[in-house]
Amino acid sequence: MVVSPSFKTTSLFKQMMAEYHERGVAAKEKGIPVAWVTATFPVEIIYAAGLFPYYPENFGARIAAKKVADRISAAAEEKGYFPDLCAYARCGIGNAFSVERPAGEVLKPDVVFCSNAQCGSLQKWFEAAGRYYQVPFFLIDTPLIENTPTTLIKRYIVEQLHELLDFLELYTGNTFNFSRLAEVISLSNEACRLWNEILNMAALKPAPFGYFDACYHLAPIVAWRGTKWAVDYYKELKKELEERLDNNVYVISDERYKLYFDHIPVWPRLRWFSNLLMERKALAVASQYTHSWAWRFDLNRPLESLVKNYTEVFINRGYEYRLQQKIILMKEFKVDGFILFSNRSCKPKALGLYDKYQIISDRTGLPGVIFEADMSDERYFDEEYIKKLFAEFFDRLEHNSN
Amino acid sequence: MPARKHAKKIYEHFNKIVADPVLQIKRLKKTGSFRIIGWVPTDVPEELIHAAGALPIGIVALERQAVSLSTPHMQVWSCSLMRCALGMALEGSFDLLNGLIIPVICDTTRMVTGIWKQVKPYAFMDNFLLPKQVDRPSAKDYLIGEMGRLKARLEQFMDRTITASELCASIRLYNHNRSVMRKLFSLHTEHPELLSNRNMYNIIKSSMLMPKELHTNMIAELWQELEKKVDDNKSAGKKCHVRLLLSGKVWEPPVIMDIFDGLDIVSAGDDFCTGYRYIANDVPETGEPLRALAERQFNRLPIAAFAGKSGDRAKSIIKMVEETHAHGVLFVHLKYCEPENFDYPMLRDDLSAYGIPNCRIETEIDSLPGENYFEQIKAFIDSIGGVV
Repeated sequence: MVVSPSFKTTSLFKQMMAEYHERGVAAKEKGIPVAWVTATFPVEIIYAAGLFPYYPENFGARIAAKKVADRISAAAEEKGYFPDLCAYARCGIGNAFSVERPAGEVLKPDVVFCSNAQCGSLQKWFEAAGRYYQVPFFLIDTPLIENTPTTLIKRYIVEQLHELLDFLELYTGNTFNFSRLAEVISLSNEACRLWNEILNMAALKPAPFGYFDACYHLAPIVAWRGTKWAVDYYKELKKELEERLDNNVYVISDERYKLYFDHIPVWPRLRWFSNLLMERKALAVASQYTHSWAWRFDLNRPLESLVKNYTEVFINRGYEYRLQQKIILMKEFKVDGFILFSNRSCKPKALGLYDKYQIISDRTGLPGVIFEADMSDERYFDEEYIKKLFAEFFDRLEHNSN
Repeated sequence: MPARKHAKKIYEHFNKIVADPVLQIKRLKKTGSFRIIGWVPTDVPEELIHAAGALPIGIVALERQAVSLSTPHMQVWSCSLMRCALGMALEGSFDLLNGLIIPVICDTTRMVTGIWKQVKPYAFMDNFLLPKQVDRPSAKDYLIGEMGRLKARLEQFMDRTITASELCASIRLYNHNRSVMRKLFSLHTEHPELLSNRNMYNIIKSSMLMPKELHTNMIAELWQELEKKVDDNKSAGKKCHVRLLLSGKVWEPPVIMDIFDGLDIVSAGDDFCTGYRYIANDVPETGEPLRALAERQFNRLPIAAFAGKSGDRAKSIIKMVEETHAHGVLFVHLKYCEPENFDYPMLRDDLSAYGIPNCRIETEIDSLPGENYFEQIKAFIDSIGGVV
């Protein structure tokens, strides 16, 4: 799937993703443990310990983008996992029971690491995986940071990182290698810097790259952060975007509106939404979701810096902070309107949006729209209802710009 | 007054409190100038609130018609327990509260504080941030710190210091109340004909809605009455009951208990936040009180919110089944309760593998009192042999 047409990097993406899976299989064969990790887990520590990190959430997104989430989820539902649970989790669990493999296979874990900074669903899913595969489950518990991070919470998480290091030393039988950790963090920094620069190109008008492109090219920053792979990939992508700018190639050459999209996309409808916006010359340019991985680590204080970045992530913040961050992004990217996605699979992102819609409208004066759906499961996608909502939204957008 | 009549009067008193929590808060407010601080289930250390000089009140008795009032603010696919609590607040049911503490035990409780602060703020609001991993030393250190943080906030709000001896006194008061309720629960499981499911669970729930001193006194009075009746009943021959263990978050809607009573089923125990789990264990009365409160938290019956021990939840339920001689387990799950829904398939399989019959019913606070529940529960007990 290509959102902006004909990115050369897309073929590189496909090739590297296939190789990534093969590397995981090879690692397992060589006796290198496959470690499941969540998207906001301090994966740098896992790389430094010599394990092969694997992100089942990426599998969830991939299977959703292939429009087969309902089929794989059905295997979990048959076992008693209810359709109102997070669709990524249902697909991850469904993969264990399903005989069909429409989007490849999830690598079986040897050990499961989870941070609950994103949500409680991941905690429960990974806990269930640990029991199902009969492998150790290690949770980094990250209490909600409602306002400013407290010393109590920071100390708690640093203490847990030390427990993690103890666990890894026992698990691998090797002393933890801090020099390797510094190398991995440097690579993460480089990939995050490039990712941030790429995201910022969406602020140009017209822009060569938008939010839906960012969703497509997001997997490397999530899955390969801390490796040379991610750095190489984003160097290529950035080079291609710079070439596009030199050649005046844009997502929408006569781009009229810039929009903020909160939060994750409806994966099986990435193209559909992109087209829906494009018809009205509108480009989604920013989101807290894609900006989540724009981290910066301090090599002088590696553990503290990992704690800071991975626990102060917006999804683990309080109501007002998150609201302000949305508005800051809207201002930075000079958007003309905003889209809020009330995602059935994700309560930490969806709950609160109804009131935030009104508050954002009041504080910014921008037109907005809020819609209900699921990020993966098309059984909850009502096309006519969404088309109608967006038609009204575009009318308001147009009225506002006049 | 004959024992049976007197006991009935006491039950009625408890039942009235549970039936109209808003009136109860009004009544309490009239009795003194103290502040009332509400708490949302579960695992908020009420002893701290009490030691600060405020009256803790659980948001546990619900008015189902209030659920829909939260719809402009909360998605209908989030749990009806929180939607109802917020709806009641919007309706003004909790206007007499001076504060509210919401523990973060799931994604919905994690998000609802922000919404609540926006749409119905109180003078004092707090997110109590319980640790979710409970097996490693870091969790204990953190929880003691979190208890200390809550204590400091309460002190600031109440404009007074909570001394160690005050906190110890509150701990003793709450321990005593729990212990007398455990005694009653034990009587209930042996003599459900004297103390029905509905009455027993209303006693537990009402303890979250009234001063513990008063509640303990009323139980003492009730105990005297029931003791007499136990003696009278000894020669009468007991009616046989099916004994079920219950598992879930809360026993909602309450009609389930009436169905139990009608079908001669006795709840032999549970891990409900508003049931036996609330009274199952005490705070150690020696040592530093904040550490003691944390100690109790880690020794409570495992529930889906916490990782580590929740792996042992099946073991915990199996152990309770054995200890209580239950004939089976009934899961009472609120629709959209993710932690329970994630735990369920494996718990079901573990229990079945152990030969324990089990069944799940899905409830909502605003679901209509139900023939459906009756049919499901009846079919389950028929499948395990009916009344023994």
